[in-house]
Amino acid sequence: MVSLARRNLFHDKLRFVITIAGVAFAVTLVFVQVGLFLGLLDNASVTIENIDADLWVTSRNTPNVDFAHTFPESYVQRVRSVPGVARADNLIVWFMQLSLPTGAQEGTLVYALEDFKAWNLPWSVIEGHVEDLPRGDFFFLDDSATRRYGPFAVGQHREISERRLKIIGRTDAARSFTTTPIAFMDTALAQELSYQALRGNTTYVLVKLAPGADVAAVRAEIGRRLPYNDVFTKAEWAQRSRAYWVANTGIGLNTYLTVFLGILVGVVVVALTLYTSTMEHLKEFGTVKAIGGSNADIYRILAEQSVIAAVLGFAVGAVFALAAGPGMEKAGLKLIITPDFGAIVLVGTVLLCLAASMVSFRKVAALDPALVFRG
Amino acid sequence: MTVLTSQNVVKRFTEGKQTVEVLKGVSLDASRGEIVALEGPSGSGKTTFLSILGCILTPTEGRVVVDGQEVDLSRPGDLPAIRRRSIGFVFQQFNLFPALSAVENVEYSLNVRGVKGSAARREAERVLDAVGLADRKAFLPRDLSGGQKQRVAIARALAGAPPLLLADEPTANLDSHAGRQVLELFRDLAKRENRALVIVTHDPIVRSIADRVAVIHDGLLAA
Repeated sequence: MVSLARRNLFHDKLRFVITIAGVAFAVTLVFVQVGLFLGLLDNASVTIENIDADLWVTSRNTPNVDFAHTFPESYVQRVRSVPGVARADNLIVWFMQLSLPTGAQEGTLVYALEDFKAWNLPWSVIEGHVEDLPRGDFFFLDDSATRRYGPFAVGQHREISERRLKIIGRTDAARSFTTTPIAFMDTALAQELSYQALRGNTTYVLVKLAPGADVAAVRAEIGRRLPYNDVFTKAEWAQRSRAYWVANTGIGLNTYLTVFLGILVGVVVVALTLYTSTMEHLKEFGTVKAIGGSNADIYRILAEQSVIAAVLGFAVGAVFALAAGPGMEKAGLKLIITPDFGAIVLVGTVLLCLAASMVSFRKVAALDPALVFRG
Repeated sequence: MTVLTSQNVVKRFTEGKQTVEVLKGVSLDASRGEIVALEGPSGSGKTTFLSILGCILTPTEGRVVVDGQEVDLSRPGDLPAIRRRSIGFVFQQFNLFPALSAVENVEYSLNVRGVKGSAARREAERVLDAVGLADRKAFLPRDLSGGQKQRVAIARALAGAPPLLLADEPTANLDSHAGRQVLELFRDLAKRENRALVIVTHDPIVRSIADRVAVIHDGLLAA
């Protein structure tokens, strides 16, 4: 089969390059914007996803994991006594001030537990042993802190809440939505550092269910015993933490707007280039009709051209977006492009390009084949 | 055997509040192996008549039968199928696809007619050989002379063996030498392959190869 669509598309190389560039621009924009958005949202719930807890007990109406409120640490005893609970421990998540060697102060988000190993926290240790944390004024610091705090190393000291603590370990991949670096320390130390707020208090109770336990029943019972707290499953809590940032900051709207503009640019470029190409090839389409081609034949030509533009534009755009990933990582930004996300963008690109080709098709469908007889 | 019958063909166009009658009852037949030249001054209606014979336009009144199939005026959607099956066109400006080579131009028209794959390629090569372009098959139209382009157009019209060939001023864009060569080739092939050929023309040379000349004037056929 001779493909008039392909041959016409590749025949005019400049227009072909412009078409592909238009689609690629839109695809890159969508990948980068949505990828960064997903990366930020991932940061908002990455600790929840990695901590090995089935249920989270929070204070009432806590909006997200970073903005914790306190409640009595003794509540954990009530949770431990609920049938179906295999283990329950207090987790403190609290903002503190860290003094840098330069004299500047920066915020740090402290995660404090008595037994880190039991909850898979931190989940990616580069250096040090978390079992050592209760043995002194020690803490672990995530490597992402380098960007805000400058270089640091195990064995060095930093002041947190005006107390000199020793860095005994480094972690990787622990992030907060606000990009505040995360530090890990023992519960007792955290309570000492923020004495007024945390003395005798915690911010969360982590719950591990016994094998075969009924999640809903355990949750309901915890809720009954702690009527002034909330109980979430891991998935709910992660979703709630992400949703807070989408709903309460401009990031969601900003991303939707940029994605919309990217799509608009791509559709307009494809529609315009296909349309001008169609206008220039109007006599050829008239010839196709004159020799017996139907409107369906014509639409197949336009559709094939738009699908080729979509697939090639997608490929180029995806390569650009993936190539931008490492650079963004260096800039402290996380770009998440999953296969599912890629597939959705590909399907969307093809559908939108097909829709764009309809602008040209309307023109050609009404074309009078008798024009082939006009000089 | 009659391939084309048209009886009392009338065509009216409406422009605003005005109705213009371009054809006022034209009748013309053509049989297999017959070459008919259709002449007439500009604006006489000959191209409109050719469009109706080619099932591109429908007549306002009258009867057209192509290869045994009567054109149903109430069903213009059937016309492409008649064109695909029974009619080959040659246009004044060749109307080749610039992005396709000579052989692909012919092969594409066969694809539209429903002939696909190697059968289409074989038939395209056969007709290109027949018009003397065996060594120009892979050339793009821009690399062919005017005469060669028109030969490709003739090959495209012949491909798939439609019984009726319609040509609109096929020599208008050629010099007299190339025009004569193309006409003689067209005549020989139409005769050899037993096709009916109707040529709309101003060119007096066409008279020399035609079996019959019909002159259209003010929408009516003169004797």
